[in-house]
Amino acid sequence: MSQTAAVAAPDHSTQAPPVVIARSLSKVYGAGDSAVRALDGVSVEFARGHFTAIMGPSGSGKSTLMHCLAGLDTASSGTVHLGRTDITRLNDRQLTQLRRDRIGFIFQSFNLLPMLTAEQNILLPAQIAKRKVDRERFERLIDVVGLRERLDHLPSKLSGGQQQRVAVARALLGAPEVVYADEPTGNLDSRSGAGVLSFLRDSARDMGQTIVMVTHDPVAAAYADRVIFLRDGRLVDEVHAPTAETVSDRLLKLES
Amino acid sequence: MLRTTLAGLRMHKARLVTTALAIALGVMFVSGTLVFSDTLKAGFSTKMMGSADDFAAVAVPAVDEDAPAAPEAPLPSLPADTLEQVRDLPEVAAAGGMTRGDAPLLDKDGRSVGTMPTVGMGLGEGTRFQPEEGALPEGAGEVALATTSAEATGYGVGDTVTVLDSEGERHEFTVSGLVDFGVDGELAYRGVVAFDEDTARQMTGAEGYSEIDATAAEGVSDAAVVSAVEGVAGSDADVETGADYGAQLAQNAGADTQVLTVGLMLFALISVFVAAIVIYNTFAILVAQRQREMALLRCVGSARGQVFRSVLTEALVVGLLASAVGVAAGMAAGWAGFAFGGEALGADTSQSLVVGPLPVAVGMTVGTVMALGAALLPAWRATRVPPLAALRTSATAQGLEKGIGWTRIVIGAVLFLISGGIVFVATNSSSLGTTGMVLTTVAGLVCFVGVVVLSPLLVRAVVAAVSPLMRRIGVASMLAADNSRRSPKRAATAMIALTVGATLITGYAVVNASLKTTMDEMLAEQFPADYLVSAPMDEPDAVIPQSSVDALKESDATGTVIEQRQTYIASDEATGDLPVSTYIGGTLGDDLKNDAVSGSLADVGPGKVAVSEGYAGDREAGDMLALATEDGEKDYEIAAVLQDGGVLWGATLTPRDFEKAFPSVDGTSDMLVNGADGASAQQVRDAVYEAVADAPTVGVDSMAEMKAQFDDVLNIAFLAIAAMLGLAIIIAVFGIANTMALSVLERTRESAMLRALGLARGQLRRMLSIEAVVLCLIGAGVGIVLGVVFGWAAGVAAMPGMVFTLPVAQIAVFIGVAVAAGLLASVLPGRKAAGQSITGALASE
Repeated sequence: MSQTAAVAAPDHSTQAPPVVIARSLSKVYGAGDSAVRALDGVSVEFARGHFTAIMGPSGSGKSTLMHCLAGLDTASSGTVHLGRTDITRLNDRQLTQLRRDRIGFIFQSFNLLPMLTAEQNILLPAQIAKRKVDRERFERLIDVVGLRERLDHLPSKLSGGQQQRVAVARALLGAPEVVYADEPTGNLDSRSGAGVLSFLRDSARDMGQTIVMVTHDPVAAAYADRVIFLRDGRLVDEVHAPTAETVSDRLLKLES
Repeated sequence: MLRTTLAGLRMHKARLVTTALAIALGVMFVSGTLVFSDTLKAGFSTKMMGSADDFAAVAVPAVDEDAPAAPEAPLPSLPADTLEQVRDLPEVAAAGGMTRGDAPLLDKDGRSVGTMPTVGMGLGEGTRFQPEEGALPEGAGEVALATTSAEATGYGVGDTVTVLDSEGERHEFTVSGLVDFGVDGELAYRGVVAFDEDTARQMTGAEGYSEIDATAAEGVSDAAVVSAVEGVAGSDADVETGADYGAQLAQNAGADTQVLTVGLMLFALISVFVAAIVIYNTFAILVAQRQREMALLRCVGSARGQVFRSVLTEALVVGLLASAVGVAAGMAAGWAGFAFGGEALGADTSQSLVVGPLPVAVGMTVGTVMALGAALLPAWRATRVPPLAALRTSATAQGLEKGIGWTRIVIGAVLFLISGGIVFVATNSSSLGTTGMVLTTVAGLVCFVGVVVLSPLLVRAVVAAVSPLMRRIGVASMLAADNSRRSPKRAATAMIALTVGATLITGYAVVNASLKTTMDEMLAEQFPADYLVSAPMDEPDAVIPQSSVDALKESDATGTVIEQRQTYIASDEATGDLPVSTYIGGTLGDDLKNDAVSGSLADVGPGKVAVSEGYAGDREAGDMLALATEDGEKDYEIAAVLQDGGVLWGATLTPRDFEKAFPSVDGTSDMLVNGADGASAQQVRDAVYEAVADAPTVGVDSMAEMKAQFDDVLNIAFLAIAAMLGLAIIIAVFGIANTMALSVLERTRESAMLRALGLARGQLRRMLSIEAVVLCLIGAGVGIVLGVVFGWAAGVAAMPGMVFTLPVAQIAVFIGVAVAAGLLASVLPGRKAAGQSITGALASE
């Protein structure tokens, strides 16, 4: 599959079938006067093999959107489909199962279990899902992220960039339908950040991996195929084939 | 600063709840014990005072305290006419007398109760005893039983009982009532049958009075009555005011209370100690978790001293509040203890709760000082937090405790060696007695400190050893194995709290089981028969009636029957007389066995004698022993010198030699009766009881019943001690629950991440349960090992001949309890962790 995807993915049109579809997604925290609309009728699609960045000022609802898309949080109204599954209708057990088998996660920090080695951390989701590890994919992944020498190190012995690459490898190992990354470079210096981001971009291009990333860094967003902009819980703008400059411009406009 | 501390306390309330509970439980035990014993003491004195207080003077026969009490001497009494003289005194309004003699009560099998005859007491007019149930006996057909006797025999008011008179004749009576005779040791041991005065005299043949109680005439002081009674009773009597006499009785009863209080207090201290460990761990964890908070305080200008005081203030507030709760709970516990246990101990249960200032003061002090003491080290550590730590991202969640800790290993090893050395000395030197016990205890404490020092390494090593297995079971147990290793110090401290209880309870279980086996073996050795039939104990020359002897020998249900004949002669080797015995119907060295110091028991034959060590002097087998026979002194060759404490005691001759030497001794003093092959236990029992039916004072002991009775006593002792240690174990479980809860808090983000990766709620809960169970199992396991080692050492040191027995079933139960405790400890933390919303947790910190 990865080989055919490697051929198909560079096609940058939006013709590829959507993997994740959100329809009129709203999220309200609290009730009555103190109610806060974190998401206000967001409809968005994420195509297979695309790397999409979600941007927006603080409080724009970008993290909430990602949490609802990933089934970590429940939307107040609207639907989210992952493939043909409407995840807004799933119960906790089914959601757990969904996250196990079909979704990968990369977080900003506290990403790895401190008592597990790099290799154990990478293999953890497979163990949780009692899934057989695709050894070939594993070998390829660790070579690509450059962790072969550090597999039996504990996270405390790894640099921030290395830790995040472990997290990326962990998210990608199971070839999930979509990977959600929440500020994956937020805690990294620019060089390590660049390494992680180009790896994410390459995995979308070469392996057809669908990736959705939340970030507030225009440089990070520039690695994506598409950037969507949120403000006050609404989808307000979208840029294809972004550069850091275009993204910064749009952001400045949004915040003014 | 104080305001910050208090605000922090309010915020972290939940984190301190279990700690407060641990303190409160420890304090509850301490205060409860004090309240209980105060109330019990008051209950005793109300009762004693109540019984004697109404009387102006109580006269009892004077006891010559220098003369040793001779068991066969008749009871001292006041002459019969003394009562009349007392009554005639102008100072005395009325007086009553009490008589006392022997009146063997027969149980439902028709055997006399106990080894000593029941006390037959005559309650005259105006007696100080009142019935607990029913009425006092009136007339020739009624008796009252002591509550203890009623309990032992199962008789109640309205039943018909048989009592023997001084001639051994049976008389039937109706039980009119039950009387509690209080805490008098002898009355409690022998039991009491109470009659009215005339019947008592007829039954017991007792003359005179054992006690005369007088009330004062109008306007006469107690002191005047006492001196007037002293005037007529003379030097034969001790006369006291009723108040003094009652106070003295109460004090005697109080002495028993004292022992009980000290015992309970010991267990209370164990609970307090365990609670202190729990508190220490909580504060240590809290300080570690609030590193950033502390650093922030330092950043904004708090001095080290202020940080230190802030932690201590927190401990003080928690200590005070928890102690207050503990004292209140202690009063309730003391009251409950008295309500349920007071009656069994013979106190007046109408006594209301006695709450002196002492239990309150002691409880508050113990709890507060314990909390402060336990927080000292964590508070000091808090002052070491550099202000810069405020700027770091939380170091606690990421960091793993590191270091092999060679210092720990060395210190631990040295302590183990010292402990081992002490145990070696204690178990290998004979005649240490109680010193051996003390040494073992010291060794146990030293070893425990060693375990404490080594415990973090121990936790890591044990988990490392089992983790390959746990990894294979599933992801929850895999994660649990890794979690257990991440803060071994914390885990170790939590575990140690459980180890204390586990060690003590296992140690006692080992001693208990070993005692049981040892006693069973000793019984089997000393009592090589199914039944021992013995002549009444209170008369030295008593024998078993020949008709009974013959019946036992002839019965189809009995097999081997060995008759023992015995007499006492003067001996120059021991202070007492030398018992000389022979056994008819049994082969020495075969039916009757006794370890020999030299020679062999089987060699006893014509002209050859076996003698026990204590009477042998420095003689050995082959030497000669002279015995003063009825026919003058005769020399016998010693075939064997026997170990003391066995079946055979004194000198043992062949039946023929015995008959020649002591022709006048032709009665049987004891019989060892075995059941015939094929006879059922019931048949044998019936045959034995049938044979002695006409001789109710002849003692019948059944090996099986003795074993059962002994086992009962041991089982009750075990249950009592287990219950006492139960609280310490519960406190330890609180500690483990608390450690788990605090760890869960600390790992909030981590749990959220695991959930995001697809770990189900159930798996998260299971992970924590397994973690807690592993912790409990290590704690209990260490305790069980320590308990077995030191239980063995204590047993061997105290009782050189002890047969070591491993209480396998009980240990299995302890392990089961440890698993249950772990599961219980993880319930709340597990719920909390699984209930967290993933997004909320990810956003936190």
